[in-house]
Amino acid sequence: MKSLKRVVGWLLRSLLMLAMGPTLAATITGSAHDFTASAWSGGRICVACHAPHKTDTTIADAPLWNHTSSAATYTLYSSPTLKATISQPGGGSKLCLSCHDGTIAVNSFGGVTGTTMISPANNIGTNLKASHPIGFTYDTALATANGSLFDPASKTVTIGSGTQTKTGTVNAMLLYGNKMECGSCHDVHNTFTVGALGTGLVKVDPAGSKICLSCHNK
Amino acid sequence: MKHRLGLTRRPRPRLVLLAALAAILLTVTPLFAGIATTKHNLSVSGPGTTKAVAETQTCVFCHAPHNTSPAAPLWNRSNPGGNYTPYSSSTSLSHPGQPTGASLICLSCHDGTIALGDVLSRGSRIGMAAGVTTMPAGNSNLGTDLSNDHPVSFAYTSNLATARGELANPATLTGRVKLDASGQLQCTSCHDPHDDSNGKFLVVPNQASALCQTCHLKNYWGASDHKLSAKTWNGAGTNPWPHTNLTTVAANACENCHRPHLAGGKEGLQNYAAEENNCYTCHNGNVAAKNIQSEFTSKISIHPVATNTGVHSLAESAVVQTRHVECADCHNPHAVNAATGTLSGSLAGVRGVNSGGNEVKPATFEYQICFRCHADSSGQPAPRTARKIVQSNTRLEFATTNPSFHPIEGPGKSTKVPSLIAPLTTASTIKCSDCHNNNAGPGAGGTGPAGPHGSTNPALLERPYATGAPTAGDICYKCHSQSVVTREPPHNRTEHLRYGCKACHDPHGISSTQGTAQYNSRLINLSTTDNKPVGTGAAAKLYVDTVARTCYLNCHGESHSGRSY
Repeated sequence: MKSLKRVVGWLLRSLLMLAMGPTLAATITGSAHDFTASAWSGGRICVACHAPHKTDTTIADAPLWNHTSSAATYTLYSSPTLKATISQPGGGSKLCLSCHDGTIAVNSFGGVTGTTMISPANNIGTNLKASHPIGFTYDTALATANGSLFDPASKTVTIGSGTQTKTGTVNAMLLYGNKMECGSCHDVHNTFTVGALGTGLVKVDPAGSKICLSCHNK
Repeated sequence: MKHRLGLTRRPRPRLVLLAALAAILLTVTPLFAGIATTKHNLSVSGPGTTKAVAETQTCVFCHAPHNTSPAAPLWNRSNPGGNYTPYSSSTSLSHPGQPTGASLICLSCHDGTIALGDVLSRGSRIGMAAGVTTMPAGNSNLGTDLSNDHPVSFAYTSNLATARGELANPATLTGRVKLDASGQLQCTSCHDPHDDSNGKFLVVPNQASALCQTCHLKNYWGASDHKLSAKTWNGAGTNPWPHTNLTTVAANACENCHRPHLAGGKEGLQNYAAEENNCYTCHNGNVAAKNIQSEFTSKISIHPVATNTGVHSLAESAVVQTRHVECADCHNPHAVNAATGTLSGSLAGVRGVNSGGNEVKPATFEYQICFRCHADSSGQPAPRTARKIVQSNTRLEFATTNPSFHPIEGPGKSTKVPSLIAPLTTASTIKCSDCHNNNAGPGAGGTGPAGPHGSTNPALLERPYATGAPTAGDICYKCHSQSVVTREPPHNRTEHLRYGCKACHDPHGISSTQGTAQYNSRLINLSTTDNKPVGTGAAAKLYVDTVARTCYLNCHGESHSGRSY
C-alpha cells in the first residue's frame, strides 16, 4: 500500500511538472510586488507592507504590518444563487485592499501619507460586487449546498510551479481559517505561484482554467 | 499480515504502475467530465468545431475573477443590449419583453452579435479556429429575433398558470427546472450551461418531452396517440424529427410538432410555418399508417387546409369568423386517440358549437365541430342546389324543431321510413361524416383514411350524389334501400328520379322559420333548376303538399297541377 502511494505521488508530481513546463519557482524579487524600481521605495521591497520596528500591532493577520489601513466600506458580492455568507473583508484580504481598493496610496506606510496610487489596471476599487467573493467560509457544508463545488476537505490541489510546489487539500492549500480570501488565488510573495511576471501572482495555473476548476466542479 | 502468513507475493512493479495509472485516471476524471467535454469549452481543448486557436482557459469566455459585468455571475462579456423581437402569440398572457438576467448574458454569444473571443478581461480578442468571430449560423445562433423561440424573461406566476391554463403551478418547480430569483423563466430554466450530460445542455433529458411537461400540462395528453404511439419513421421522404435523435412518436412527444428554438411556425413554436406541414410530416404514410396528405393533394373536393397560413388563431372564437380550415380546427393534436363511439377519438378535445349556437368545449358530437364553420360563420358559399327555400346555415337546417331534417342532432321527424337499411331505424342518429367522407375510406368500403379530408366526389361526399338518375352507389342509397325506394310511389316512376333525389329533397333539412310541416316534411325543398312553377304570375305554384300528397310541379316536361301521389 505504501509503495502504491509512493508511486502515485511520484507520477502525480511528474505529470504536474510536465504540465507546468520549464517555468521556475519565483521569489518576490522580480515579481509584481518588487517595488525596488519605484522612487518612493528607496530600493526596498518589503517596506510597503512590513517594517522591522514600530509596526501596527493592531494587525493580527500579517506580521510587522507597516501599511496604512483602508477605512473603506465595500460593496459586497451578491448573487441570487449564492449559498455562502459574505461579510466585509477582513483578514489578509483587508490588507491587500489597503493598496488595491485605490483609497490609500501605495506609499502610505510607516505613518507617512503617500501620493502614488495603485495603477488603474490593478485597482479593484471598493465595489467588490464585480469580483469573485472573498471572506466567506468554504467548507463541506457549503460545497454540499452549492452543488457544484468540490469538498475543500478532500479535494487536493497543487500550488506553485517548478521546484516550489505544495500539494494538499483545498482547505490546506487555499483557505485561511476555512475562508476564501485574496490569498486563496494569489500569493502576495510569489512563493508558490505559476511564476511568470504578469500572471497575477496566481497560485494555480490558469491554463485550462485549472485555478477555477480547483474549487468549481464544472 | 499477509506477508507473515506468506499467502501473497509482493505486488509486481508493473501491476503497481498500472494500478497507479488507473487511480490517477479515476482521480482526474471528475475534473474533465464537466464542461471540459462540452461545446461550451471554447478553449483550444474543446471538443466542438467552434473553439480557440490557442487559448487554454475554459472559464474565461464567460467568467473572470475581477472587473466583471454583470457582477453575478462574474460575467466577462459585454452586454448585447440588443433590440430583440420577443415571442408573442394571440393567447400569450405572459407578454415577454426584452430579455433580462441570465437570458441576456446567454445572448452575449447566442444572438450572434458579439464575437465569441471578445471578453472583458482581455485587451484583445481571443482568436477562434477557422476564422470564427461571432456564433456561426446554425441552431445555436438564435439571432435577435426571438419570436421563434420559447419566451424567456417573463414572470411565471401562479396567476399566469391559472389564467393561461395547462401550466404547472410554479410552486411545483422544485427540481432541476427552476425559475430565477425573481420568479422569471430564463434560458437557465431549461439549460445548464455547465452540464451537457442530457444533450443540448438540458437540465433534464427531454425523452418523451419530460422537460417540456415539467411546466406544460396539456389537457387530454395522457391518453393521446401522440404521447403513446410507438410508431417509427420508415425512412422515406423528409425526416419527421430533424432536431432530435429520438425515433418514435412517443419519444418525440411535443417535438413531433414543436421546437423551442428557431421554430418555423412562430406562434405556438411549431416546426413548420404552414400548419398542415406539421401534420403531413408524419401523416404522409411515412410514420402514421394512413396517408392523409395525399387526401388533400390528390382530390378535387377537400377541406382546403393548405389555402391559408397564419389565419387560424388559438384565440379565435368557437364560431369561426374568418372562414378557413386548418387541421387543428377539427383535431386537437394533444388529445387525438383511437377511441370510437359517438365522437371519434380523432376529434377529441376540440371546441364546437352546439345546436343553440353556443360554444361547447370540448365538443361531444361531431356535428358541433362542423358547425364552427358551416353554421353561423359569415361568408358561406351559396348552396350547391338552388332551392325554393334558401339556407346555408347547417345548424338551422338540422334543428330538431324543423319540419324535417336528417337525424344529425336527434332522431328524425318521420316515424315511417321503410327504405332504411338495418340497423338504422327512425330512432337512429347519423353523423355528418356518414355522408361527407373519403370516397376511398372505410365507409365507402376502401382502405384509405377515414374522415372528410378529401373526396373525388363534389361536396366531399363519400359516394356520388346523382344529378341524373341515381345508381346503386349513390350516397342516398347507402342508408335508403334502392329497391325499397324505387318500389314506393312517387319514386316508382323513373321520371321522378331523372334529376336525382336532389330535385325534390333537401338532404340537410328545412329550418323551422322557413318551412312548414305541410310543404316541407320528408325533406321536401324543391330544386328550382329542376322544377318550374305551375302557372305564371301571382297564381304560380311550386310545391308538393305532403299532407294532401299532391304535387304542383312543372317537371320532366309535365305540369302536375295538383296531381295526387
